[in-house]
Amino acid sequence: MRVIYKSTYTYKVFKLFYEQCEVFISTLGEIMFYCIEFLKGLRNFNTSFKEIMDQCARFGVSSLPITLSIVGMTSIIVSMQVAGEMVKQGGGNYVGMLMAMLIVREEGAIMAGFAIISMIGSSLASEIATMKVTEQLDAIQVLKVNPVHYLFTPRIIAGTLMMPLVVILASLFGMAGGAAAANITSGLSFKAYFDSVWFGLSMHDLNVCILKSICFGFAITLISCSCGMAAKDGAKGVGIATTKAVVWSFVAIVIIDLLIAAAFFY
Amino acid sequence: MGIQVKNLVKAFEDKTVIDDISFNVDDGKILSIVGFSGSGKSTVLKLISGLIEKDSGEIITSGGDIAMVFQYSALFDSLNVFDNISFALQERKDLRGKYTQKELEKIVAEKLELVGLSGIENKFPAELSGGMQKRVSFARAIVTEPKIILYDEPTAGLDPISSTLIEDYIVRLKNETNAASIVVTHQMSTIRRTADSVLMLYNGKVVFEGTPDELCAEKTDYTKQFVNATIEGPMKINA
Repeated sequence: MRVIYKSTYTYKVFKLFYEQCEVFISTLGEIMFYCIEFLKGLRNFNTSFKEIMDQCARFGVSSLPITLSIVGMTSIIVSMQVAGEMVKQGGGNYVGMLMAMLIVREEGAIMAGFAIISMIGSSLASEIATMKVTEQLDAIQVLKVNPVHYLFTPRIIAGTLMMPLVVILASLFGMAGGAAAANITSGLSFKAYFDSVWFGLSMHDLNVCILKSICFGFAITLISCSCGMAAKDGAKGVGIATTKAVVWSFVAIVIIDLLIAAAFFY
Repeated sequence: MGIQVKNLVKAFEDKTVIDDISFNVDDGKILSIVGFSGSGKSTVLKLISGLIEKDSGEIITSGGDIAMVFQYSALFDSLNVFDNISFALQERKDLRGKYTQKELEKIVAEKLELVGLSGIENKFPAELSGGMQKRVSFARAIVTEPKIILYDEPTAGLDPISSTLIEDYIVRLKNETNAASIVVTHQMSTIRRTADSVLMLYNGKVVFEGTPDELCAEKTDYTKQFVNATIEGPMKINA
């Protein structure tokens, strides 16, 4: 009787759902635990300036080409499709405004976030996961150094500081790309485009954009480091931790984006 | 006093991996823990070093630092030899800022000289052989002048000559630091060359306790099977 019950598809589906819920809750718990540990470590802040700068260079400089490419390309794609139609309908003077709103409020931060997750988040998770499975984290602990404080602090600080800079640069690049695309595909002048940019932008938008990117930087580095820290089972565990970090970071920044949009633009 | 372990118990989920074991190691002495893979040897080291929590029992130490040398060295890949060895002095809360850069350089040079590797401060772990990495990890372990040194299979993956060298350094470090040492190993040569006493574990229990000579005398079925490396005997693999 029991065997028949366990072989049904209904049982298997519910079992899978239950297991996934369990994984979700335990991962959330791990991230919260490491977040609290990180915050505790800030009370006795002792990370060297050089270490933070190294991580800033890794976060900001090495990720810049891919971030600029992604934000620039998506802006060009949107501008190519929107500018022609708007110019035809007599709304050419609003293309810059539309692009500015789109990029500053949404696209710049979220696309830069995706680029950073792919490039930096995955690398942070795999680096820490490799340290975990090769007993380097145990060695840190035996040497009486808190591995969470030692590894998380410079990375999270760098992520939180650098993400706004990356987003601002990417947004500027995106707007320039949008202007070039509108000019080439619809003949819209640069002057008309950039004049209308100022209609679409406000300090409120810029402040929210910076707040959002700070939250993204914090979330990406915290989640990536936490997933790496929780890795187990050798090389396979490193792969699982990296995938988990990427998936969770993606979901986290979309949720943060939704909450910030609801809080500031609804 | 060294280390006193009394009635130590540790279980993972429903499997008891350390089942009520007790032993002592005095200062300046080396205890070898031997046994099949999965018999709980490394777990004992992790319990003593505080990497995992015991379920019950007592671990009493004479105070001071506990150092551990890991099976595959566990050197920090992103740091050079100097930073690896001076890691605790630079990062530990109670030691940070206590030493100037010159003092750190002097300490690291001394420790490297002790393990016969002078002048490699700027090299990275990936540039060193397995034996050299192991010796750097010895230097890192003793940098805080520990009272207890734990070695987890220190000769694993090394050729016989490098193994002999490592065994010599284990004895040398014991003499230099007067630390109580525990060496987890499978190698009879390591036991013969380094140990003052031997503890054999099987299924988390102590099945033999004595000197290396007593182990080699093969007075029990357990010691006979281990020394002769035979499949037949009271210890079953995957038991």
